[in-house]
Amino acid sequence: MIRITDLSKSFGALRAVNHLSFEAMPNCITSIIGPNGAGKSTAFNLIAGTLRPDSGRVELEGHDVTGEPAYRLAKLGVARSFQITNLFFGLSVLDNIRLNCQSLESRNRFLSRLDRLSAPVRRATEILEEFGLDESADELVGNLSHGDQRRVEIAICMALSPRVLMLDEPTQGMSPAETAEIDTLIKSLAGRVTVLLIEHDIDLVMNISDHVIVMHQGRKLFEGPPDEVRASPAVREAYLGAEHAAA
Amino acid sequence: MLQAHQQVQATDIQRRQSGTVAARLLRASRNSSSNSRLLRQIALVSLLLAAIFPLFGGSFFTRLAIEALLFGCIALSVDILLGYAGLLSLGQAAYFGLAAYVAALMYLHVTQSFWLVLLTASASVGVFSFLLGAVAIRAKGVYFALITFSVAEILSKITHNTRAIGGSDGLIGIPVPSIPLLPGLEIEFANNYVFYYLVLGTVCLLYLGTRRMLNTAFGSVLRAIRDNSDRVPYLGYNPFWYKLLAYVMAAQIAAFGGLIYPLLRGFVAPHLFGFEVSTKAVVMSLVGGVGTLIGPLMGSVIITFLESVVGSYTERHLILLGIIFIVFVVFLPDGLCGLAQRTFGAGRKVKP
Repeated sequence: MIRITDLSKSFGALRAVNHLSFEAMPNCITSIIGPNGAGKSTAFNLIAGTLRPDSGRVELEGHDVTGEPAYRLAKLGVARSFQITNLFFGLSVLDNIRLNCQSLESRNRFLSRLDRLSAPVRRATEILEEFGLDESADELVGNLSHGDQRRVEIAICMALSPRVLMLDEPTQGMSPAETAEIDTLIKSLAGRVTVLLIEHDIDLVMNISDHVIVMHQGRKLFEGPPDEVRASPAVREAYLGAEHAAA
Repeated sequence: MLQAHQQVQATDIQRRQSGTVAARLLRASRNSSSNSRLLRQIALVSLLLAAIFPLFGGSFFTRLAIEALLFGCIALSVDILLGYAGLLSLGQAAYFGLAAYVAALMYLHVTQSFWLVLLTASASVGVFSFLLGAVAIRAKGVYFALITFSVAEILSKITHNTRAIGGSDGLIGIPVPSIPLLPGLEIEFANNYVFYYLVLGTVCLLYLGTRRMLNTAFGSVLRAIRDNSDRVPYLGYNPFWYKLLAYVMAAQIAAFGGLIYPLLRGFVAPHLFGFEVSTKAVVMSLVGGVGTLIGPLMGSVIITFLESVVGSYTERHLILLGIIFIVFVVFLPDGLCGLAQRTFGAGRKVKP
């Protein structure tokens, strides 16, 4: 579970995130939606340790983790993916995943020979199978299709055995068929972890989310289950646009 | 938020598309480390050639080969940083020079004990590289190169202008000690063959040690840092310590070359810190193949001998170095080892 209280961040005069508070419950999919520039990605960056908040609190399972650097949050079980595919393009798919499994190994093994570290490879192979990537295990990530790269983005996060999985537009640039696959995948992961999702694809959000947070100009505009979000006039006006409001 | 976002995007794009020399070198080095069997064979053949060399070389070329191996240590240290951590250092000569000066001063004024000198030089380089590394590795790309370059230049200027440590003349007349290895077994540096095989053996150990050190979880994190350092923290690693350890380790290897150099030439001078030595080390790794570890040692032998031969005809041998650099960056960015890998076709194709 992750709880955000009164989180704020400014860039110069721009209040990118303005007193944002919400909770993401375990084994649920909590989605953050909002128009471009609403502050979704900044909120993500604040939670995952990419940026330090100006004020407010981030709590992970009841512990205060505000302003912790990203590598420590990752160790504590916060895994995040990126909107723009951000992988190790020059390494193989297996190596990409293995690096993450390896970071869970105890620290005093960091000078053991790589071929003696079999546990991370076993675990990485399992994850590749689960994500249907086992056939391209030795392929360089840079040579994969966009859709497969997006899948590696999620797989690399799951390799951390995270408690909180933060996905930043996982279906960005994907075909409808691929999006549907990711949809099923995320649903299946939600049984194991707290999922926090930023998504532009409204259909996907409404289909799989248990809880939706609507952001607008850095603030939380609305919060509730998908049906209520769909029904809310304020959300329609701010986010879905005039045509939806009229419909 | 948009601004921040665009920044992230912009750096991302820069990283992938930048056509700078460093980027070219990095891209070239990506796959070469994966093809280890061929590299092992290359290393073995090189060692055999090196082992029989003094039988044909004569004393001048044997001593030149020792020098090549010592400069090869700087090239190897450049390769650890560039080929594994993705850091282009233009100041690795700083550690070569520092160790050379510490050694020279110790021999002249303090002690004749090789082991004590080794300890002092290693410790001073360790402390200095830790402090400089902690500052420099926070900077990325060209800024890291600039910081390392300028610190090496500052050291060079300080020695150049300090009379007490020889000034621009450097220090001459450094006595050559003998090393007590075991009771009753002393190593005489005066004998070229003993000197040569001792240095060759130590460089072999340094090479093997480095290879072992980088074939670990530690090495795999370094490769990840080289590939995409921005993502590494999200895997639960703090890149800072990994880069710093690689930096300190590389400095120690460059320092070994500097430690022995005064014993070979009998003098040290400010140019040992200089840009010329640092860049030569980068060219050496490029010629041999960045990220291969054995390549830079080969590159060092090639460049050192070429320079010596060309230098006997013209004083402008640096032009040659420049031409070699350009030719390799443009036509052969993965170096001779990369060429060998493509020729013998073992394993994956190396992406240009």
